[in-house]
Amino acid sequence: MTVKVAPRIVTPANAAETAATLAACARDRAAVVTIGGSTLQTLGNAPRRCDVALHTSALHGIRDYDPRDMTAGIEAGTTLAEIARVLAEHGQWIPFDAPLPERATVGGTLAAGWAGPRRAVYGRPRDLVIGSTIALADGTLARAGGMVVKNVTGYDMSKLYVGSLGTLGVIVRANFKTLPRPPVRRLAIAPVADDLRERTIAAIGGLAIEPAAALVIDGYPRIARYPGATLRLVLLFEGTEAVVERGTRDVRSALGRAGVAETLLHDGAEAEALFGEIVDAYIDAHGERTLTYRTTGLPSLAWSRARTGEAVARENGLHAESIADLRTGDTILRFSARTGATFAARLAALDAGVRGAFEHATVLAGGETVRGSIDAWGPEPSTIATMRAIKAHFDPAGILSPGRYVGAI
Amino acid sequence: MVTSLASRLLEALGPDTVRNSREDLAVYAFDAYSEGQLPSVAVIPRDVREAALAVRIAFECGVPVVPRGAGSGLCGGAIPAQGGLVMSMVRMNRILELDVRNRRARVQPGLINLDLSRAIATHGIFYAPDPSSQKVSTIGGNVGTNAGGPHCLSYGTTTNHVLGVEYVDGQGVIHHTSLDDSGYDLTGLLVGSEGTLGLVTAVDVRLMALPESVRVGLAAFPDVESASEAVSAIIAAGIVPTALEIMDKLITSAVEAHYHAGFPLDAGAVLLVEIAGPRDDMAAGEAAIARIAQSHGALSWRSSADAAEREALWASRKGASGALGRIAPNYYIQDACVPRTKLPAVMHEIDRIARAYDLQVGNVFHAGDGNLHPLLCFDRRDEHAVRAVVEAGTEILATCIAMGGTISGEHGIGYEKRDSLSLVFGADDLAAMGRVRNVFDPRQLFNPDKIFPTGAVCGEVRAAAIA
Repeated sequence: MTVKVAPRIVTPANAAETAATLAACARDRAAVVTIGGSTLQTLGNAPRRCDVALHTSALHGIRDYDPRDMTAGIEAGTTLAEIARVLAEHGQWIPFDAPLPERATVGGTLAAGWAGPRRAVYGRPRDLVIGSTIALADGTLARAGGMVVKNVTGYDMSKLYVGSLGTLGVIVRANFKTLPRPPVRRLAIAPVADDLRERTIAAIGGLAIEPAAALVIDGYPRIARYPGATLRLVLLFEGTEAVVERGTRDVRSALGRAGVAETLLHDGAEAEALFGEIVDAYIDAHGERTLTYRTTGLPSLAWSRARTGEAVARENGLHAESIADLRTGDTILRFSARTGATFAARLAALDAGVRGAFEHATVLAGGETVRGSIDAWGPEPSTIATMRAIKAHFDPAGILSPGRYVGAI
Repeated sequence: MVTSLASRLLEALGPDTVRNSREDLAVYAFDAYSEGQLPSVAVIPRDVREAALAVRIAFECGVPVVPRGAGSGLCGGAIPAQGGLVMSMVRMNRILELDVRNRRARVQPGLINLDLSRAIATHGIFYAPDPSSQKVSTIGGNVGTNAGGPHCLSYGTTTNHVLGVEYVDGQGVIHHTSLDDSGYDLTGLLVGSEGTLGLVTAVDVRLMALPESVRVGLAAFPDVESASEAVSAIIAAGIVPTALEIMDKLITSAVEAHYHAGFPLDAGAVLLVEIAGPRDDMAAGEAAIARIAQSHGALSWRSSADAAEREALWASRKGASGALGRIAPNYYIQDACVPRTKLPAVMHEIDRIARAYDLQVGNVFHAGDGNLHPLLCFDRRDEHAVRAVVEAGTEILATCIAMGGTISGEHGIGYEKRDSLSLVFGADDLAAMGRVRNVFDPRQLFNPDKIFPTGAVCGEVRAAAIA
């Protein structure tokens, strides 16, 4: 049994200090794990070693924000909620769509490669990043992109850093293009009867006003409540009053024709809060008796992947809940048992079942022990050799979150 | 070595795919940039297998491979700067798969941009990136330069519409990247890498639903500065049109003489505004834009809901640089991008610089994005004018950088601007890019002498390789 030593906590005051910290760690061969708001630390495998926990909390603030330019330069440790508040004063936003925005930081959200349900309309965070500064293991600070919305000056390095989960360096700042905040928001929740499932989903396929998000939720009783319904259809409309009104009318009549009961509507701040709860649930875990995967693929197959997940759960004597995203193709699957002991006993078979059923499935959340018993990533992508070479060029000493990433990178 | 390259390629792929006569090669020496270089061999593969085989043979012979789409690039990205093999992708021009329901397609790199949107329009979907060259430029070339276009104001540039690529590495091995894959975003790295990381042989593109309604408004302004102020005000009001384009008087007159789309000839500048989306938003959106234009000194406002009229306006806009042939025998086009609020000041400076060098400058640009395209008119036979264009161009770029801008918004760095790259990036920034180059192409045989500054970068790339 290995003895765990608490890592040394370092909180660099600025970008230069962050780079100097990494250089010192590389010299000492000390493994560094970057900590933002600790909301997505469950992503990936546990690092093999962690000698230094580098907190980004002192890298804080929205530095260059001229609402008329619709661009903002933001330091890594700034929370998503703070960004939302400042931008909202000018009728703008950056649709991160990430869980727990009061704690989640912009650096962590980017490093995790988070992309939420509304990316079908607004793009992924990666698509909104127009520049970045990263502290590298050799102690240098490398900039990419800039503060303009179109830029093809050399490689789009920001794309490489987004989603690299702290294995290539520490993102210290990111520049974004901001978007106008939709003036009106409405969340519609409809119950889906078992015998009407396919008809309900088909009914919303041809809507002229496309919702910003379209989810089919099975289980997850604390979110998107509809009295008496386990299976719910959740649609989020965003835009002008006229468009949201028409969207609602069209949905009601389409669902009515499909035989679906009355749709519940929530507006404005309430809609936003309820939608936030749904996104929070993506990473919601119950101790050591649940494990959540995100599967990705074609949107048209999102719902059938939810049913496949159910079958995998049944075969293993477990319970499955799901959030099938009809617009992005993500299907969130949360497997659970009544007790941790039962879950532990069935975990290996469950993971094998998931790997067999889905081409792309990664672990999003679960208890520490549960996650520690399986590989979070599944099969290596065919380009793994290139990825390993990138890692070796950026972090030759292997000090940045070693073992956390795909293929034990 | 070159002889053995050609003979090995001929033996492997045959004379229809491999060309090495001087007259055949002449067409591959140039793209839309002014300088050129004759390749030693050209390969026109029919499929990925032929392309991969050609790359492998070239690398075994230590000869550079330069990918080429339509050759419409403006910065010399497709010229074989060190000679070697030019890989023309024009025969690989098919849509391999179309998934209407999931709005995605897998296409070959030689497919012409506009041909894709035309082929799928009946399904109510389109491919959003629309560079002005879209009638001739290819998807593969667009991926190389991360091409933009008037409509990327709201839809984003090529990189926002590529879900994955198939590419061939220097060993001739075929790889596939996808945004669905775990791991580093290789797709995002390959888009915009100007053929320096590998040969892209297929592209998975994201398609969008055609908007329910589209309106184009045309406002006339006394000068470019006031039109630019109006653009800033429209954006500041929280309206993001699908396109916001400005043409100055010189361009408008050249375009009108050629296309007869009905542009006002007495205006100092015209602003083209397109809004698209649900029909419910059109009237209010258009009224708000017209109001802003008028309060910023617009002399007139004309709106068009008619598809034919709209297409005529866009055809004129996209043909603007071509129409400039009526004014001068040669022009030099720039591609700087500045923060939107700096537009009026930058336009004022460009005007001042042009006067100082006694040059005629036409301005046609993606105003909503702050992406400028000053066209410096000259006659190549006049040495004095050529020198003035080079100096004025350098001064314009320096002005844009000083205002927080960058040297290329959508055309790329290519051969032309590689030495300017160090105006925006320092040694550490370039070294990080050099590491990526070393991972994908350690021998620097994919499109050498592009993007990276001369001299300096070799050291940086090497230093990164040693690190």
